[in-house]
Amino acid sequence: MSDLPPAAEWPSVRGLLAELPDDALPRAGRFLARLDPAEVLAAHPATPLVSLYVTGHGTLAALRPALTVELARHGLLAAITLADFDAWVRDLADPGSDLYATLGKADGPAFALAVLGPEIVAAELPLPWRADDAARVLDAKIELIEKLAGTFAATANGATLVLNTLPLPRELTAQLLDRRDRAALGAAWREANARLLRLDRPEVAVVDLDPLLAEGVCARDPRQSVYAKAHLTDDLLAAYAREAAHLARQAAGAAKKVLVLDLDETVWGGVLGEVGPEGVEVAEGYRGEAFTRFQRVVRQLGSQGVLVAAVSKNDPGPVAGVLRDHPGMTLRDGDFVQVRANWRPKHDNLAELAADLNLGADSFVFADDSPFERGLVRRELPGVAVVDLTDEPALHVAALLRDGWFDVPRLTSEDLARPARYREEDARRGFLESFDSLDGYLAELGTEVRLAPAAPAQLDRVSQLTLRTNQFNLTTRRLSPAEVRDLAGDPDARVLAIASADRFGEHGLVGAVLLRRDGGVLRVENFLLSCRVFARGIEQAVLGAVLEHARRSAAREVRAAYRRTAKNGRVAGFYPEAGFATVHADEAGAEFRHDLTRPPEPVPHIRLSADFGGQQP
Amino acid sequence: MISVEEYVTLLRDELALPVTEDDLGRSLDTVDAWDSVHLLTLCTLLERQTGRPLPFARVLEAPSLAAVYALATAS
Repeated sequence: MSDLPPAAEWPSVRGLLAELPDDALPRAGRFLARLDPAEVLAAHPATPLVSLYVTGHGTLAALRPALTVELARHGLLAAITLADFDAWVRDLADPGSDLYATLGKADGPAFALAVLGPEIVAAELPLPWRADDAARVLDAKIELIEKLAGTFAATANGATLVLNTLPLPRELTAQLLDRRDRAALGAAWREANARLLRLDRPEVAVVDLDPLLAEGVCARDPRQSVYAKAHLTDDLLAAYAREAAHLARQAAGAAKKVLVLDLDETVWGGVLGEVGPEGVEVAEGYRGEAFTRFQRVVRQLGSQGVLVAAVSKNDPGPVAGVLRDHPGMTLRDGDFVQVRANWRPKHDNLAELAADLNLGADSFVFADDSPFERGLVRRELPGVAVVDLTDEPALHVAALLRDGWFDVPRLTSEDLARPARYREEDARRGFLESFDSLDGYLAELGTEVRLAPAAPAQLDRVSQLTLRTNQFNLTTRRLSPAEVRDLAGDPDARVLAIASADRFGEHGLVGAVLLRRDGGVLRVENFLLSCRVFARGIEQAVLGAVLEHARRSAAREVRAAYRRTAKNGRVAGFYPEAGFATVHADEAGAEFRHDLTRPPEPVPHIRLSADFGGQQP
Repeated sequence: MISVEEYVTLLRDELALPVTEDDLGRSLDTVDAWDSVHLLTLCTLLERQTGRPLPFARVLEAPSLAAVYALATAS
């Protein structure tokens, strides 16, 4: 990127940035930061927008280009407001502040970034000072931050406050000459950071700067700090912006779910077809140990709900042999939801894998050491995130983890069980192929559905469904855990969880229905279903139960809306097919009503139990 | 050392400033797209390119891009 791109070319920016090395990003950010988000939106109204209000201690203007480019790497357009110099306490403490006004107006995910550095402590030390004085200042600061976080949670509905740990500069520790006193400062400093990290509020995220500093990012430039009040270096702010962009990506519902791995030179060393099963490098030798280290990290991700698949240009027999029998392998066939070893183009395999898993290819992360394969996938499937592995396997782990692709606000029990569920799904598909008709299959499947108010422990999972479900999501209104909790506590609203099971096993919580009672009208505010289970009649059965509940509880009508996105086209007809009349419809979506005069179509192959949690709503 | 042409290239390509050699003598607040934060980034970029330290305090007081250039090339 060597020139200001016109706003109309925004959709190509993500692809351009994907090809840039890290050290070229700041420059790209300075160009992108000059684009007016309003012009981009005018040219491409569907561009996902994230609002960021930047406040904190000192000069933070370098965050504008850094955030702009890091969000753009994920296809997100950043609407950035820079607060007045050093206004962070006032911004967060006063519910009438510009910060809250700006976040309140935001359409889409909204963040307040309160960027703090060691100077918030250093500036308040007396002269002379000892470790005790620093401990007192640290305590007071953390207490203040905790209080501000409370105000934020109560005021900024649905937005997220991003805090960070404070780097400890040697310029402070080295001022204390007594070894014990110096150690006491180090301990007090870490205790303050630990208190920040333990701030357990759904509305707050704390970026831990220590791991970024451990990678060798310099925290401070004394001249910039003293003369320009830029207390954190551009390099550290760039690393921070990358972490903030990961938070933004999660809130925008662009989470990745599947890790697709090449095998030769990615999972093991050497080319299986040339060196044979005994010749691949794994577990032993310098390179073998590096590949084992990578395999252990892949398994670690898989244990937290990431679906792992392999796509390799190989004959299937030898690949299956290595995964089953090679004594050095950490990853085994059971760790993969699918292994595709064949000689067809990788993008075709990825597209078929997406269809098999009933997921969009844009929920895929693809890691390969071959620039040719990576380039082809980037070109053919631009939504896939591509991880650039090199011929140095010791760097594979860092490359895989660089962009926090699979990070989630809260890991749920659903996440942990997901890989096993998808493997069951493979068995189910085999079962499907033995039937002549889908109806016969569904009848034999023995699907049971439970619809009931979401229990407190399920609310995080419901939020996650709103954030991660793109296809069967009638309004695509993303809700943070805090917003779902508010909704569950609202006497006029109801958060219903859909759980299902069949002869192959328990699916767990697979969907949600959000209802609101408004006089004689029962409103379906949103209807969500995991792509693992739709098109089996579950959605019709649940909607039928909602209509029946409306009729019995003397509602006059049921209202529901559809809001169109790039992903949810296949559910545009969901309500009309269930007997709803269209009140109005345009390109953005439609509003429907059901007058409850005709009973819903029964779904005979589903056994459904419904509990609406009493009369209201 | 950095030549005037290289300096202008750095301002255009790295800092994303739409300037030419004619703009170097202008007062900073009249330079198109100028923002005070550019000065900090410019210091970092100049030090990286020339391999020698800049007198920060004096750069921050510089009235024009030409004055910054003079500080970066002063012997």
